[in-house]
Amino acid sequence: MSRLLLLSPLLLFLGLAYLLPLSGVMLQSVTTPEPGLQNYSAALGDPLVWSVIWRTLRVCLCVTVLAVVLAYPLTLLWLKGNTATRVLVELAIMIPFWLSVLSRAFGWLSLLSNRGLINSWLQSLGIIAEPLTMVRNEFGVVIGMMHFLIPFAVFPLASAMRSVDDRVILAARGMGASRMRIFWQIFVPMTKSGIVGAALLVFVFSLGFYIVPTLLGGGRSVMIAELIYLRIFQIPNWGLAAALSALLMVSIGAFLVALIKRAGVSTT
Amino acid sequence: MHKHFQQDQVMMLKEKLKSGELSRRGFLQGLALLGGTSALGLSAGSAYAADKEMVFVNWGGDAIEAMSEAFGKGYAAETGVKVLYDGSGPLEGSIKAQAESGNPTWDLVDCDPFSGQALGKLGLMRPIDWEIVDPGKLRDGFQWDYAANSYFYSYVIAYDKTKYDTPPTSMADFFDAEKFPGKRALYKWGVGMWEAALLADGVAPEDLYPLDMDRAHAKIAGFKEHIGAYWGGGAESQSLLLNGDVSMAIIWNTRAMLLDRDTEGEVAMTWAEGIIAPGSTGVLANNPAGGKAAMEYIAYSQAPEAQAKLFALLGNGPANPAADALIPDEDKFYNPVDPKNFAQQTPLDMAWYEENYGAALDAYLGVISA
Amino acid sequence: MTGLRPGPFATALAAMTAVFLLLPLLAVIPVSFTPKRFLSLPKDSLSLRHYQALWTKPEWGDAIALSLQVGVTAAILSTLLATAFCMGLWMMRPRFAGVMAGLALLPMVAPPVVSALTLYYFLRTVSNWNSLVVYDGWLGVAVAHTVMVVPYAVVIIMVALSQVDRKIDLAARSMGAPVWTRIFAVILPNIRFGMVSAFLLSFVLSWDEIGVTLFVTSIKAITLPRRMWMGLRDNVDPAVAALSVVLIVLVTIVILGRLIWQNRSPRNSR
Repeated sequence: MSRLLLLSPLLLFLGLAYLLPLSGVMLQSVTTPEPGLQNYSAALGDPLVWSVIWRTLRVCLCVTVLAVVLAYPLTLLWLKGNTATRVLVELAIMIPFWLSVLSRAFGWLSLLSNRGLINSWLQSLGIIAEPLTMVRNEFGVVIGMMHFLIPFAVFPLASAMRSVDDRVILAARGMGASRMRIFWQIFVPMTKSGIVGAALLVFVFSLGFYIVPTLLGGGRSVMIAELIYLRIFQIPNWGLAAALSALLMVSIGAFLVALIKRAGVSTT
Repeated sequence: MHKHFQQDQVMMLKEKLKSGELSRRGFLQGLALLGGTSALGLSAGSAYAADKEMVFVNWGGDAIEAMSEAFGKGYAAETGVKVLYDGSGPLEGSIKAQAESGNPTWDLVDCDPFSGQALGKLGLMRPIDWEIVDPGKLRDGFQWDYAANSYFYSYVIAYDKTKYDTPPTSMADFFDAEKFPGKRALYKWGVGMWEAALLADGVAPEDLYPLDMDRAHAKIAGFKEHIGAYWGGGAESQSLLLNGDVSMAIIWNTRAMLLDRDTEGEVAMTWAEGIIAPGSTGVLANNPAGGKAAMEYIAYSQAPEAQAKLFALLGNGPANPAADALIPDEDKFYNPVDPKNFAQQTPLDMAWYEENYGAALDAYLGVISA
Repeated sequence: MTGLRPGPFATALAAMTAVFLLLPLLAVIPVSFTPKRFLSLPKDSLSLRHYQALWTKPEWGDAIALSLQVGVTAAILSTLLATAFCMGLWMMRPRFAGVMAGLALLPMVAPPVVSALTLYYFLRTVSNWNSLVVYDGWLGVAVAHTVMVVPYAVVIIMVALSQVDRKIDLAARSMGAPVWTRIFAVILPNIRFGMVSAFLLSFVLSWDEIGVTLFVTSIKAITLPRRMWMGLRDNVDPAVAALSVVLIVLVTIVILGRLIWQNRSPRNSR
């Protein structure tokens, strides 16, 4: 009874508000324009789709690793630093949330473009002669996405780090373990669920990005979310869009299962 | 016009409900009596119609204010129907989703004629009622069954004047990085870019259609190293030239005009070998305000004065040729369809786009993102 | 303060990351003072016109109020739903737990544009049956946002729960504590931080949500991002930057205020 009370609200809610209409949309992958699997073969046989998937994976994996690696020490400092550091770090984590995507993109463009602030400084300091191309390419996309995602990676990490029992660390120290060893062999493994959670969150979130790549990628860095957007809104071909989405969802699902299994984290 | 009658009944019931003459229960019973309209009467869609309102979906920004100023206010004064502008962008897929529901909440959309045609053939748009809309107020060759031409814009070359002693005068110049060094920018969604590449490659304007896609893409692929960015929206194209990220770009004439004015001529434009694109208004099938009101709005917006006003506010060329003369002499240069400018340009072939745009854009994205 | 302290390398890396996170402010703050009507770095003069616009133009105030209303509702709903669901999974270990978790995470895995289309159909359909949760209505938007953000809340709370020592719960159970006592006295206090994080994250995601919102609203429910995006084809209104600066100042005040508050009552410090 209590099981039903706990589990059913969310399942009912998502089942009715999401799964049901979603099935209608996804069904089109095998019914539109005519019944059959031709949408799937068309999607898989399209070289554009493959190049887009390859770019998406490359960028998103890169962003995920960088975001989690950078968020980890940041979270550590946020939770374990002295009061002043904690406040500064907290500001750095919280402030980006309130910059709308548009102001951020504009911010990066004015910082990184050819006549941007960073290039002008570097040039006036005599460090570089020609402006560096830092935006309107994949580098710009990675920068923009990382900036968006690091604060999101902090939350699961913080949640895991908070619950690490300080006595374990004290005990290890008491037994003479070095600082490095405590960190790598005790602390990191104890926060594994946070790392997996953060990576999962960031990776899956990043796959859905299309605004940041559009604005910072100079139009070249078409990613999967944008391609699906194109097939649904720009030139409607809903059967193909649904097939593409189904393939994407299945691969993400498989990836998540593999990630969770490999990390050996039982989330349930 | 059975449906109109029903809506009128619903409206009366609603008014009674508001004034307290009728309980909510009575209201619902009344609706049920009208048969099958109970859902309709409570949905957002017909509520607009009952309050004598109409929803026009356009691309947002200045266009909301400008269209309301040029068309909406005058139309409301004349007919009592208030036009509400929704700037969320009537992408072809959004219109499809709206219209396929059977009772859309949108009435009118600012769409590409080829989108309107494609959707219309699926039964999702109302055919233009030429009894109400006047075909005589449109230019020859710009009339379609499901989309009424409402304005024009062009894809033109804009360039940084400080970088070049002699201005570019053709698409061949645009694609010539030796004669005109510097980065370029193209439109991300392909329209007009194929034509530009083919013109640069020596195809005569009258021989453009059907477009030789392989040749166009070969031209663009060979020039890729000189392209600094592909812009996806007007503001972006403007900032590319303003920030000096590129020194020459093919952009919308409305943007080129703003750049010209904002930079006091430092960024200039040319009409030479420009590509003219028509914008149009379409009416969704089963639109809440009914076909007649929507067609009357289109007819109202055809007036030369209204068209000239839209040009003054946005820089869009008038659909009605009679409006050209109303534009002050000092602004005539910026009118994309002014006879002098029109003669230098080539219009897009909407029939070709209706057939081929999807496949062409896929191939184009493959070329630029490779 | 006991336990692990970050070493010099970690501190340096964290400091770099913090600077990186704050870098766009270098552009956003000046932009908010531009005298021009489009996003641009001010050259000769500064102007407060965009701050003034936030006050004087009612559409900004309305949009902020609506986004707050929608965001808080969506955050409360998603935190409650996710907490109950995750506790259900954690305590009962039901069969098909994987399938259930899969459903809960589905909106996060689906491409956002597909979700937009899906929620559009959902809201158009339920608009025929009720007058509260409707297309282009605030509650409709809140429900759509809840669907979109609830997977993130689920992830956060799952992580929090996976750190709770099962033995505590087992002990409570073996002593005959009823389910509700176990939940309220044992588990909830242990995942408090996770719940707060989930709430905050849900709110922020809803506050910034545009992909779905654009599709389930038209002319009445204009949220803040929706108002900002109206101008996307033309110029982005610098009021967007001004608003960001105002919000950042508020967040800074809250964070510093809490610090002062905590220092006044040292026993309460974390």
